[in-house]
Amino acid sequence: MTLKNLHGRVAFIFEEIDFDVDQIVGVTNMKTTDIVELTKAAMQSYDKDFAKDVRPGDLIIGNHNFGYGHPHYPPMKAMRHLGISGVIAESFSPGYWRGEISMGFPQIPCPGILNFVSRWDEIEVDWESSLLHNLTQGTKISFEPLPHADFAMLQAGGLENYLKKRFYKSTAIGEKS
Amino acid sequence: MGYTITEKILARAAGLATAKAGDEIMAKPDFVLAYDFPGYTDVIFKQLKDDFGIEQIAEPERFGIFIDHMVPATSAKEEELHIGTRDWCSKNNVALYERKGIGHQVASEVGFATPGAFVVHFDGHISQLGTFGTLAMGIRRNVLEAFAMERVAIKVPQTTRVDLVGTLQPGVMARDVFHHLVRVLGSASCRFQVLEIGGPAASALSTDSLQTITGLAMFTGALTAIVNPDAPRLEYALPRARKQLEPVSSDEDAHYAARHTIDLTSLEPIIVIPPSPANTRDLKDYLGLDVQTGYLGSCVSGRLEDLRMAAQVLEGKKIAPGFALHVVPTSQAIMAEAAREGLLATLVEAGAFVSSSSCDYCFGRIATMAAGQRAVSTGTLNVRGRMGSPDSEIFLCNAAVVAASALEGKITDPRPYLKV
Repeated sequence: MTLKNLHGRVAFIFEEIDFDVDQIVGVTNMKTTDIVELTKAAMQSYDKDFAKDVRPGDLIIGNHNFGYGHPHYPPMKAMRHLGISGVIAESFSPGYWRGEISMGFPQIPCPGILNFVSRWDEIEVDWESSLLHNLTQGTKISFEPLPHADFAMLQAGGLENYLKKRFYKSTAIGEKS
Repeated sequence: MGYTITEKILARAAGLATAKAGDEIMAKPDFVLAYDFPGYTDVIFKQLKDDFGIEQIAEPERFGIFIDHMVPATSAKEEELHIGTRDWCSKNNVALYERKGIGHQVASEVGFATPGAFVVHFDGHISQLGTFGTLAMGIRRNVLEAFAMERVAIKVPQTTRVDLVGTLQPGVMARDVFHHLVRVLGSASCRFQVLEIGGPAASALSTDSLQTITGLAMFTGALTAIVNPDAPRLEYALPRARKQLEPVSSDEDAHYAARHTIDLTSLEPIIVIPPSPANTRDLKDYLGLDVQTGYLGSCVSGRLEDLRMAAQVLEGKKIAPGFALHVVPTSQAIMAEAAREGLLATLVEAGAFVSSSSCDYCFGRIATMAAGQRAVSTGTLNVRGRMGSPDSEIFLCNAAVVAASALEGKITDPRPYLKV
């Protein structure tokens, strides 16, 4: 099974190093479980028209060590609900990375990404070649391939499906894992 | 070319002769730990049954559950969560540690910090088991993998080695050592790596200090931290060990992604200003700033060394009128020892509010701050809203600074208060 290439526009660029993703919805909304409320809160400190302008498939861009701090799940739940299909960053903080990969949300480490795109450029993430194409500017850049288990988790659509596949395969052949 | 302690532990856990950084392996955790928390354990227990058909967990001796958050419960809903946890542990014959203290500390007290063992938890502060040569990682939601399956998929991490040399000056503590590492190496310096702490000054540090340093590893970007276990650590850990394992250490010629030497002799107290653990600053530049509350506790600080230091600063004195100083020993065993040493009496008589061990102060569930309030804290984190209102502020520092600041109601250098 392959993973469908991501194709969309650069919906936002977070230029801050060590970006704390909780700021996307704001700390006061961290316990909000209602996705509509969460989505309304998302990006309000950055771009009030974000929800209006974003389209399904769009991606967001981050700087170095994206997701540092004490990341929670609601911010990216809101971003996915708004149609964001993945995050491309110079590099990721491990806790954030694990959390979002486990949600089946594509995260792409791509050193040089900040100088490679401008907001609203149309881009494509080609998993097969590990190349990111900037269709607006006609340029390409390679990104770091994901560890196999992380890629398998994205293919399965998240942790639960990935584990179920492994679990039922292993019980079928009589192994424990 | 030799191997790091991390490579050795993971190779054994994966049943391989050797493993090198970068290898993608399937490793069997020796221990799987968690504390009960809504959205984590309750969901995991349900998923095991509903999604995987697991009614009874295999090898229950590999598991350990802690009830340390929402202790004591303040609502029926919280107590119901604890009841669910107690029931699951009882039915599955899994060890449960309730009201014994903060789980990451209790884990060491009850032998999960087995030298040479590979341990997973969802919470990253479990890294502090690294003090005893245990490779302990927080893997967030992925801990479900370790509950449902025998093995977890893991890429063997690279290691950054830090050699500590020199001697800490009075009033400078393990917190300062760690915050200094973040300052000089960077908040992303050990990203996806293991932070290995060694060198003569590391051996000279107390176990309490090493637990502080290793427990905060995540703020360098590290997956965990580890120490090659020396005599004092083995003396503590081996009699408690829950599994017979040969302790291992890094080879002399092990390959490191980076190697740094840090001299502790000239180190001064550090303060970490809000809203990021990366904001390390010199304490001297923040002296005199008004603070209303102080927290001395958490899984990384709040041990005897911290309590002794606070007692030394506060002995025979009174904290500033209106200042709220919360002291929370990291475990009940530590609290009992502090009582035997007379530390609790000193702290209470100085005006500190001393509570039994709980995680709840660290994330503002209790002693919640209002907008505009400011805390000095030995907690783990200073992000916005961590201890209450998003418009309150947390300054992270060592236990002596918390105590001295409590006396003056301002951020204060503790050194004049210490009998040297």
